[in-house]
Amino acid sequence: MTRIAFQFRAATREASRGLAMSSAASSVAKGASACPGRAKFGHHLRSMDLRASNHRNDAILFAPITLPVVALILAVCATAPASTRPHYGGTLRIMMQSTPNTLDSPANATPTEYWDASRTLALIGDTLVELDAAGRPIPALALAWQSDPSFRHWQFTLRPGIKFHDGTLATPAAIAQILSPIHPEWKVQAGADSLPATSLTIDLATSMPNLLAELALPRNLLLKRNSARIPIGTGPFLVSDWQPGTQLKLAANEESWAGRPFVDSVEIEYGKSLHDQAIAVESNKADVIEAAPQPPNASPALNASSAATSLPVELMALAFSANSRTLDIRLREALALAIDRKSIQTVLLKGVGTASATILPNWMTGYSAVFSTQSNLQRARAVLANSRQPALTLSYDPTDPQAQLIAERIALNAREIGITVQISLTGNADMRLVRVALPSPDPATSLIEAARQLGLAQPSFAPTPRRDPMEDLYQSERGLLDDHQVIPLFHLPVATAVGTRVRDWGPDQLGRWNERNNATHSLADAWLADSQTEDREAARSLVEQR
Amino acid sequence: MSFRKKLLLLFAATVLLCVAVISASVYNTMRHSVEQANQDRASAIAAQFRSEFQRRAQDVTRKVDAIASSEIVQRIALEQSRGTVDSGQNVTEARTLATQQQLDFLEITDSRGTILSSAQWQAKFGYPEAAISDTTTPAMPTVAFLKREELPDGATLGLFAERIVQAGEQPLYVIGGERLNQRFLTTLDIPAGTRVLLYQNLDANWNPQLLFDLNGSASGADKFARLIARVRDTQQESQSVIRWTSDSADAEVFHAIPLTGPKLGTLDHAGATQQLLGILLVGSSRRPLIELQRQVISTAMFVGGAGILVAVLASLWFAARVTRPVESLALAARRVAAGDLNAKVEVESNDELGELAASFNRMTEDLALQKDRAVQAERVAAWRELARRLAHELKNPLFPLQVTVENLMRAKQKSPELFEEVFHESTTTLLAEINNLKTIIGRFSEFSRMPQPQCQSIQLNDIVRSVLRVFQAQLQEKNHIIVNTVLDGALPQISADPDLLHRALQNLVLNAIDAMPQGGSLTIRTAPNGDQVELSVSDSGSGLTPEECERLFTPYYTTKQHGTGLGLAIVQSVVSDHGGKISVDSKRDEGTTFTVELPIDIRNRS
Repeated sequence: MTRIAFQFRAATREASRGLAMSSAASSVAKGASACPGRAKFGHHLRSMDLRASNHRNDAILFAPITLPVVALILAVCATAPASTRPHYGGTLRIMMQSTPNTLDSPANATPTEYWDASRTLALIGDTLVELDAAGRPIPALALAWQSDPSFRHWQFTLRPGIKFHDGTLATPAAIAQILSPIHPEWKVQAGADSLPATSLTIDLATSMPNLLAELALPRNLLLKRNSARIPIGTGPFLVSDWQPGTQLKLAANEESWAGRPFVDSVEIEYGKSLHDQAIAVESNKADVIEAAPQPPNASPALNASSAATSLPVELMALAFSANSRTLDIRLREALALAIDRKSIQTVLLKGVGTASATILPNWMTGYSAVFSTQSNLQRARAVLANSRQPALTLSYDPTDPQAQLIAERIALNAREIGITVQISLTGNADMRLVRVALPSPDPATSLIEAARQLGLAQPSFAPTPRRDPMEDLYQSERGLLDDHQVIPLFHLPVATAVGTRVRDWGPDQLGRWNERNNATHSLADAWLADSQTEDREAARSLVEQR
Repeated sequence: MSFRKKLLLLFAATVLLCVAVISASVYNTMRHSVEQANQDRASAIAAQFRSEFQRRAQDVTRKVDAIASSEIVQRIALEQSRGTVDSGQNVTEARTLATQQQLDFLEITDSRGTILSSAQWQAKFGYPEAAISDTTTPAMPTVAFLKREELPDGATLGLFAERIVQAGEQPLYVIGGERLNQRFLTTLDIPAGTRVLLYQNLDANWNPQLLFDLNGSASGADKFARLIARVRDTQQESQSVIRWTSDSADAEVFHAIPLTGPKLGTLDHAGATQQLLGILLVGSSRRPLIELQRQVISTAMFVGGAGILVAVLASLWFAARVTRPVESLALAARRVAAGDLNAKVEVESNDELGELAASFNRMTEDLALQKDRAVQAERVAAWRELARRLAHELKNPLFPLQVTVENLMRAKQKSPELFEEVFHESTTTLLAEINNLKTIIGRFSEFSRMPQPQCQSIQLNDIVRSVLRVFQAQLQEKNHIIVNTVLDGALPQISADPDLLHRALQNLVLNAIDAMPQGGSLTIRTAPNGDQVELSVSDSGSGLTPEECERLFTPYYTTKQHGTGLGLAIVQSVVSDHGGKISVDSKRDEGTTFTVELPIDIRNRS
């Protein structure tokens, strides 16, 4: 019933926007189908198939048909309690761990900071394009797009009539003004006079087949800034109050192009530990929190809420500093062989995540099994034979509650092959135990982003793409890992717990909170049950149990 | 050096030696006692440490017992027996339990000694615990033991206890302990002046960073290196003095006690080979000993000084008592030597010194008696000489008187015609001889009536010139006598009676002229001599014998045929009345020199 109610709401909202957009979208889809590179670049090009990705637009397209159907369903559902129907109002209370001082997407952030900033800013702004969990591009502010065969010249068709929170129109020129400073190497401009007024072109110096995945990253959210550096976007919520590091209050954007959110406002409290957040959601003082990921078969850690663990979207790795004493590749290789990932994953991570020897998780690439995660002390000692090893220092993020134990375990593993590793939080350590977020479901984009965060050289892709794009990806990743400058250890998920008041919402498979193309993953589509609703549901649940 | 001083030094040296010997004896006894006290104190501290060690061991054992019976451990044991151990959940349990029981170390291992959970090194799960991993026949240890514990930041030393939890067939081991560190030392009740250090024998070589005291890392740790090395080599208790500064009072005596524990790999600690794991250093300051030593030395110095002073006083008294008769004898002897034969020594004792004094007195009495006899004899001789001189002097004029009177008588009787002429001649002779007699008598009378000098300031050279003028004519008649005068022009004025000096010098010149009947040279010299003036009269006559020189100034003694023997006696009397003295120096056939020394000021006469 919830799903039906949402579709009705979405349909009614979208119906008011007319059919012009649907025709434009279909034209783009046609153009995309004609793209010669589609077959070669697999999921990139597959994601361009708007018909397969945008159910909301489907609803729009079939609005004349669906309206009578919906009316019929409503009649059928008339026997259902009215209180279970979505309704407007209420404040959604969110808690986060990080303590941001600005509403920006930090460049070198810890995964927690990254996720928190991304989730916050995604409520305020939109990107041109979004990727679904499978990595397929779906329209956001851009309804359609096309590129030339070289993937250097891109043309986007923007949604018409979209307004920023300050009332100004999100014209191609305004969008270009936002994107250009973010990517100075790009040439972003409004379409030529020969093109429609909603056209935006991006000209690149080099080929960039994964531009859509790049544009879907949070750093490319189309946000303007006022004099107080408060972001002004086109998203479902606008900033009403900002207390740096402690609290952010968002109000529902009445003019949101995707329709007004059900909740009137969102309050985000920062700086809350996972423990505090868990208590808050259990005591009904928070509606959406970050939670500690649970192993696949674990019993729920929280009683009064539902928790969802994402696919592994973080990489924990050992990154060597560029100018450290670990320049001897044999040392790094031996250390990689000595680390007992399985014990750490089983015991210290309590079964959460997966041991890995690759940067990208297996769900993205499918080839992780090629890289062995088993420790091999005998081979490690053989690699180190006849070489004198210095004592190494290892640092970790002190705010990461698991990092210290994992670092100590790595030191213990290293000791077994005669390498002395000292844990140190001061000075420039020889290696760091780091977590990096894999921000995109697009593997190439995540690989590029992970390499950037790990301080590695940018991965090189073959100038001429192979038939199987995974082969390119595999070669690129192997190229990054060959010198063992980074030793991947684990891929870790993120988890979200949702309070009992929240209806029709949950994070997507990647732990994202505001995936607009899927109503069940968009906070704008979440609504809050009142206390009477909760009581009735509890009573019904009791009756059903009996 | 006088006898008294010698005696004094002898007494002082004896007393000093006695004081030094006594002080050294007392010091050695005291030192031995203090060192024994230090040793006892170190032993007491060591015993206290062992007692504290046992108490802490019991405490650790009790805590480990509590942990072993805790619900968590029982659950883990049960999981192990069922094969459903949740490593992820258990990995933090040891720390939780250790925190609850305030233990520094806690490890829970399975039956194979594999660590399931470690409080001190949580990441060590899955690794073998060295204490039990090699055990084949585990036995329940009943006592706590020392063990080296590896930690992420290095090894440390701990006091451990072990318990076996049996739930099913597979035993579960619980090994808990406390760190043997600075905090442990603070629990010891350490007496004042004592401090305790602990060296964790965790490195193969000496490592100063492993030595700490109550305040943390021990300062000056390198000074302990030799002591610790000795204990490491012998594994026996040892002792050493650590000097911190040049002041010996700052030194400390350290008693090193080896702390051993079973070698790893066995639970059967009772029979296990022990290894040196730590060294307890109990130090006591040497300041009390040194201060006591200094106090004894200062007291000995004081007592010694006082003893020496007392010895000196006693020696003075004793020496005085002993030497007073001797000194009296010496004084009396000096008086006797000076001519005082009446000197007597008081006889104060009946010992040898008293006998000596009595003998001395008898000797002086005998000498005085002999001197009286000699004086009496000399006086008799003088009277005899006087009588002889008087007889001789008087006989000479009497004989012409007798002859003249007999000539008168004979002329009256036999030649009255010539009587007038004879009478006239005889009376002339008689008068002459009577005058001669009067002269002789006058001289004797004059010698007996020598006047006291009437002093005035005179120039001696003037007296000399005046006398020479008197004898000028006589000397010119006897021109074979050459007169030499060597008069000092700078001769100071003297206070003297000019008439008496004139008379004395006349006698000396006259004697010199008489000594040179065949001619010669007469030399008169004057010269200043300090606060005196010197006058010498020399002749080149035949000289005098020593015997003559000795008696020369005796009245009425003369070597001349017609002398009265009073000339030089008068000279000596005049010189003596002026506070001067006269001496004679004569050599046979070379001449005689009389030297008169007169004080410039008669008031300074000696």
